[in-house]
Amino acid sequence: MTETLAHAGDADEAHDRFRARKVSSEVEARPLSAKLSEPKTFNPAARKAYYFYLMAPAIALLAFISLYPFFWLIIMAFQKGDMGPVEWVGFKNFADLASDGRFLSGWVLLLKYSAMCLFLQVGIGVLLAIIVNGSRYEKFLVTALLMPMMMAPAVAGLLWMFLYNGTFGWYHWIFQSLGILGSGSILSSAQTSMYAIVLVDVWQWTPLITLIALAGLKRVPRDQMEANMVDGASPARNFVAIVLPNLYPVLLIAVLLRFMDNFRFIDHILVLTGGGPANSTKILPVYLFEVAFKFFDLGRGAAIALVLLVVTIILGKILVGVFDRPTTGGR
Amino acid sequence: MASRDVVHYDTPAQRVLRVLAVIFVIFYLAWTLLPFLIMFVSSFKDLLEAFKLPAVGDWMGIGVFFDFTATTKHYETLFQENNFSRYILNSLVAAGGSAVISVIFGSLAAYSLSRVEFRGKQDLFFWIISTRMAPVVAVMVPLFAIFRSLDLVGTLPGLILAYTTFNLPFAIWILKGFFDNVPYGIEEAQMVDGATRFQAFRSILPLVAPGIGAFIVLCILFAWNDFLFAAIIGSGGAKTLPVATRELVQPQNIQWGAIMAAGVVTTAPMMLLGLVIRKYLVTGLTMGAVKE
Repeated sequence: MTETLAHAGDADEAHDRFRARKVSSEVEARPLSAKLSEPKTFNPAARKAYYFYLMAPAIALLAFISLYPFFWLIIMAFQKGDMGPVEWVGFKNFADLASDGRFLSGWVLLLKYSAMCLFLQVGIGVLLAIIVNGSRYEKFLVTALLMPMMMAPAVAGLLWMFLYNGTFGWYHWIFQSLGILGSGSILSSAQTSMYAIVLVDVWQWTPLITLIALAGLKRVPRDQMEANMVDGASPARNFVAIVLPNLYPVLLIAVLLRFMDNFRFIDHILVLTGGGPANSTKILPVYLFEVAFKFFDLGRGAAIALVLLVVTIILGKILVGVFDRPTTGGR
Repeated sequence: MASRDVVHYDTPAQRVLRVLAVIFVIFYLAWTLLPFLIMFVSSFKDLLEAFKLPAVGDWMGIGVFFDFTATTKHYETLFQENNFSRYILNSLVAAGGSAVISVIFGSLAAYSLSRVEFRGKQDLFFWIISTRMAPVVAVMVPLFAIFRSLDLVGTLPGLILAYTTFNLPFAIWILKGFFDNVPYGIEEAQMVDGATRFQAFRSILPLVAPGIGAFIVLCILFAWNDFLFAAIIGSGGAKTLPVATRELVQPQNIQWGAIMAAGVVTTAPMMLLGLVIRKYLVTGLTMGAVKE
């Protein structure tokens, strides 16, 4: 026993001499034998240049479709819309945003929309995961839950437009029969339209939270739960003390991912309401879409896009930080 | 496993909770699956029958839903009048093209990123992943301007390139995780046996092949389901299925029957693909952060 330990220590030293890179610690292919002689010519690492050549095509392509447009975006943001001759306007596009009511309300609506979506998705998703976990029908249930995620968001929007329809929509009929709604469609009133798009998002993406939470639940260490139970903890106490702390890191990832997706995907909103009625669902990306591709005011659109991008980059930085934490068991 | 042996008696409160849980799941399943049922059945209904609803509050009248004579005329409209076979082809070419490009370039880049350390690697990584996470509309503003000056708007190559903006970073990020799990020792052994570096790289490809296969499918799924890029950059010459479906909504005449049929046509293949790669789905959708 002690011998192996000693060797393991040696192996750590040898590690750097024998490998061009650190391999993941889970897989150990080389026998951890006793000290070996200095390996001077034994498989030297490839020159870095070799790897850079392999990387180059992808990086070049990515630079062309992401870095180059990004600089273009910055330039566009300082120009007047690009119909006609180019005209530099300095910071005017940004200055205009500060006094643009739609831009500001776009942020408010985006946050409101995200908050509602995330609250419902995490609540329902985690509850479902806890119920489904270990059930006899787990496999079937998970497969059934997967289905909405495979649907194109635009098609989902159209389908729900049919279901919400005030004269022949089945879900409208259900809402009406339950006495939640009057005879007007949920989409036609500025008070309820936000709930309509939230429901679609919840319908489509709650299963993702369930799947992520399930993956997290599978990792909850059983021995800790048993130990806790032996000590006389109730199931509720067990849940709070053992399950939740283990679930928390994956849920954080899930929430951040969904939050960013609320910035990313507006397909179902464009299809269902297009931002209306009375701008009640015009969250910022929808407003940006309208400015840039309906009114073709690309200069102003670029300014909004730049602000939106900066915010997502900050969010992304946080997300990647969470990815890298060892507790999440990621890479 | 040991706790399975412990005999466990439910308290009455637990029994009530159990029943509530079952009811909750049943309700949730119904609310999740009902739209699919309605879409599928409505696509085979004549419009008049599709619009039939029981009176408000008449829960027993739900039977009208199944009261219809099946017709395939909506599917016939799609393919005969609306040229949907062409749009299916467009969707396939755009999604498949970008998936193949992304995975070929992506696997080379992912392999080398996994095998080499250099300064700034983390920054390069962050740039790659932030490309994937950027809001589609924001990316599209400059991309549209550039593509317009290159005459790529409304063409399939343009659309393939646009889809590559999110598929390529995704492929690099995920595939790097796969290559990280392949020990360098295998390549070393190959090279000791006289293989060149590139041959050694090829020799480990079979080890990551299942993952690569699954992620080609995921890339296809993302591209197939996209609406924004297709609506703006593919508009005109390269109409894909979601856009074509959306265009069935006309101000005076919403062809609901055809829309439901188009929904089935668009959704069914992706649903099958999703089931095939079920194992990789969570890893893929969380960008590798959560593994099942």
